[in-house]
Amino acid sequence: MTQDVVSTKTLIKSTIAATIIAAMVFVCFILPAEYNIDPTHIGHKLGLTALAHHDDEPTLVAQGSAVSEQGQQVIEVTVPAGKGIEYKFQMNQHNKMTYEWLTDGEPLYFDLHGEPEGDTTGYFESYAIATLSEMKGSFTAPFTGSHGWYWKNTSEQPVAIQLIVKGQYTVIGLK
Amino acid sequence: MHNNIKPFIACLLGLLLVSLSFGALAHGVDDNTRVFLEQNSGMQFIPFIYIGAKHMFTGYDHILFLVGVIFFLYRSRDVLLYVSMFTVGHSITLLWGVLGDIQVNPYLIDAIIGFSVVYKGFDNLGGFKRVFGRQPNTKLAVLIFGLFHGFGLATKLQEFELAPDGLVANMIAFNIGVELGQFMALVFIVIVINFWRKLPSFERFSTMTNTMLMSAGFMLIGLQLTGYYLY
Repeated sequence: MTQDVVSTKTLIKSTIAATIIAAMVFVCFILPAEYNIDPTHIGHKLGLTALAHHDDEPTLVAQGSAVSEQGQQVIEVTVPAGKGIEYKFQMNQHNKMTYEWLTDGEPLYFDLHGEPEGDTTGYFESYAIATLSEMKGSFTAPFTGSHGWYWKNTSEQPVAIQLIVKGQYTVIGLK
Repeated sequence: MHNNIKPFIACLLGLLLVSLSFGALAHGVDDNTRVFLEQNSGMQFIPFIYIGAKHMFTGYDHILFLVGVIFFLYRSRDVLLYVSMFTVGHSITLLWGVLGDIQVNPYLIDAIIGFSVVYKGFDNLGGFKRVFGRQPNTKLAVLIFGLFHGFGLATKLQEFELAPDGLVANMIAFNIGVELGQFMALVFIVIVINFWRKLPSFERFSTMTNTMLMSAGFMLIGLQLTGYYLY
């Protein structure tokens, strides 16, 4: 016994039904839940976009306090898949920071840089640019302003970073 | 007979639920596995078998395709033959893809895997016979789509920088795991379909089931192509 060949009418009906159902589920549920694209706003009403939001917004667990000239502070940030985040510290000119950070193994493109306070031209100075899974170092702020890291995650999984800092700064946090 | 089978099915379904809740990720590899894969070096035979089995068992795209393939296979011999074709296909490209370091875009390859589900659903409806007057060789189709599924499996492992140390043994272990996972999944599919075939509802709903299969394939294509354009 083998399969039946359905009538042309049934075949057309089946194909159209398959396409329409797929399109509806795709637009109403899959796009909002997976990619936070919600043309119908149904995903938002059903709370599905929260699933995608969860990936979009970097989670932050900071331990210790954000007081300057303190001992070691451990900061954990997560870079969502395919996204870049910036984590900054307010520092005065000639303030020092020693740092160490490592990911869960995935190498990330990063740019350690500073932006002068009050600058509106978009100028920044990069202290280090590389793609690494961990780094240790220190720097002295050449000017007063915000200093910190830009990390870019090109992988398909979120990457957690543990950042350990020590020095003279105030935490600005995620930008 | 029925009395023996019912608790068996209940046990299997229970196991299925438990395993799904542990690894709710059908596509990528979950975080624990990722950490393991990246930290490992040297031969890790059993863990790689486990990872392969888990990926296949929880990978709905591979499972949907298999459902389509064996939907109208009534004889165990045919099931074995077609599944073997699929196995040969995906084993070739899994090994070739990883060992030859062949870079394929995972979104595109997963979209093609989605297309294989649409193809099989359409084929099961007799669509090719109806539209073109003849059905393309089904064994060859399973083999060719098997090749694409294998590239899909390869991309999952290529996401990690696997240590060259013990790579071949680990790949083979992963492949063995894939076959084990496939076998476990097939046990469920064959039990359910064989049971269902005995009921009158099988014929009544076979058209609808294959329509839904096509629809699910279209959803997979949409999901993956969106990912391709966004990332």
